[in-house]
Amino acid sequence: MTSAIGLTGLQKTYPGSPPVRALRNADLTINDNEFFTLLGPSGCGKTTLLRLMAGFEVPTAGELRLFGDDIAHLPPEKRPINTVFQHYSLFPHMSVLDNVAFGLKRLRKSDVEAKRVAQEMLDLVHLSAFSARKPDQLSGGQQQRVALARALAPHPRVLLLDEPLSALDLKLRQSMRAELKRLQKETGITFVFVTHDQEEALAMSDRIAVMSQGEIQQVGDPATIYEFPRNRFVAEFIGDADFFDAEALGGTGYKLANGETLIGPETEAGIGSKVTLFFRPEKATLKRKGKGLSGQVADILYLGNSTDYVVELAQGGSLTVRSENHKDGTAIADVGSDVVVDIDPAAVRVLTT
Amino acid sequence: MTRLVETIRSHAALIPATAMIGLFMIVPILIILVYSFLAPGDYGGVKPEFSADAYQRLLFQRDLFDQLVFDPAYLKIAFRSVWVAIVSVVGCLVLGFPVAYYIACQPEERRNIFLLLITIPFWTNLLIRTYCWILVLRDTGLINGGLMKLGLIDAPLTLLYTEGAIALGLIYTYVPFMVLPIYAALERLDRRLIEAARDLYSNRWVALRHVVIPLAMPGIIAGSILVFIPALGAFIAPDLLGGGKNLMLGSLVQLQFSSARNWPFGSALAMVIMAMVLICLYAYARSSKKNGGGMVH
Repeated sequence: MTSAIGLTGLQKTYPGSPPVRALRNADLTINDNEFFTLLGPSGCGKTTLLRLMAGFEVPTAGELRLFGDDIAHLPPEKRPINTVFQHYSLFPHMSVLDNVAFGLKRLRKSDVEAKRVAQEMLDLVHLSAFSARKPDQLSGGQQQRVALARALAPHPRVLLLDEPLSALDLKLRQSMRAELKRLQKETGITFVFVTHDQEEALAMSDRIAVMSQGEIQQVGDPATIYEFPRNRFVAEFIGDADFFDAEALGGTGYKLANGETLIGPETEAGIGSKVTLFFRPEKATLKRKGKGLSGQVADILYLGNSTDYVVELAQGGSLTVRSENHKDGTAIADVGSDVVVDIDPAAVRVLTT
Repeated sequence: MTRLVETIRSHAALIPATAMIGLFMIVPILIILVYSFLAPGDYGGVKPEFSADAYQRLLFQRDLFDQLVFDPAYLKIAFRSVWVAIVSVVGCLVLGFPVAYYIACQPEERRNIFLLLITIPFWTNLLIRTYCWILVLRDTGLINGGLMKLGLIDAPLTLLYTEGAIALGLIYTYVPFMVLPIYAALERLDRRLIEAARDLYSNRWVALRHVVIPLAMPGIIAGSILVFIPALGAFIAPDLLGGGKNLMLGSLVQLQFSSARNWPFGSALAMVIMAMVLICLYAYARSSKKNGGGMVH
């Protein structure tokens, strides 16, 4: 597989006192024709990384390669990379068609050619009827699609998307996810998508890089990131998780802080060493009786398609179990009822760091 | 009756503004308009008798036999004035745009300092500031003296009392009027649009031409109008730096009210200047309406 973008030891430090190390030491390979997502909370360095790729920032150190060529010091206009900006940044003084044709004209395509390709791009995003309008005569979702068409029109080798869906409402966001996925497949362009929305990242990406505090925490496909997070930050940031401090008893046994024993996967951690266990709340089962951790339902959060039960454990501590409701819509337990939480050993993950 | 009171009350807030404009704008213009149709008094002022002579004089002269002959002297002055005003506008634009752009790119606190610096010349009397240019431009002045000392020229260049000197004086005087509205437009400009242009294969200059300048156009046009209007009627710079040799409309008007003592003719000239300005403004309003709200493509 060819690598579209390669980072080696890429760093960006903004001067100041103290200097801000926005990107600490990034090593990353983004494959050709991949939908790649940079995921992290605000201030994690994902936007800095995107701006470095686009050419709006110059790296402090490290290498940045595009299909093998070092582009770290090329100005943005010399990079065959286009960006869909968070606030669209459409040119307000140009028609939709002129906006989309802008990049093509700068690439010295003839006027006729530029207009033809621009019209094709507008067809692709279902906006051909709006080509004569000004951007401010369009809705947010339409502006978003114009921004997409404008960035795709010059057929860049890599398309950068900076939280493009964050300004849209929920329904529109969901339909745009599918649309983006489709466009990526149809055009075969490598997409680098920046978001803080984990759901978005899981739904669309081929692979995800989770970032925090200027560092890449983990790179992997959505299932790996969700099922086997490498550290507590990734586990907490993607989805929900119940964490326990525990002591390894050797083999598959772990002693929880409240004294109870939990069976989990086998680990290399030495007997008596401190570990963190966690599981996803939807992987535990809430029962009336049986084996497991006993406790009492302290709180219920109704989520529509499921319900979160906060269980106070009899031996101390609390955890959250996410469970589907009964088919008739009633809850499976009420506040105050005694329950048993059954955790499948296969659902338990062990973090040794 | 009560309805009348209601109407008056609801418009009461407009009274100060209306009075202000009426008293200080409409009334003086009407006086000038009336004066321009009266006969000149012997020692200045006007005689209360109707006469269109003032307007006739703009284009025609009475020869020895009391016949009206076409005389383009004043027309030439008008053209020269318009020409110098246009040169001033272009000069102010060339100087003012980079300054405004530079200021708009500065951090917020520093912008205000720069804006203050732009307005500093206004603290000194215009006459004195214009007079200083004489010291700079004259044969024994700063420029000629400096160039001769350096041995670059043998004889002083004729700098003073030229149309160029007038334009220079006007540009110097009015460049703040160009900087401020352009700055206002550029300050509002979304910097991310420049990034978007850069991202779409435009270098700095192409982004400037296709994004920054079009979006700054309302400011550029406002600045051009603010420079053009006073430059057309200016008389201090033409008098001092042009030496009164090449008459300008502004000096001509001033002359009619002072030494020539022909108030109706001065008034008629003032009306003509105003008409010219209004025509320019009307043309601008028409063209901006066509292009949708002041945006020029």
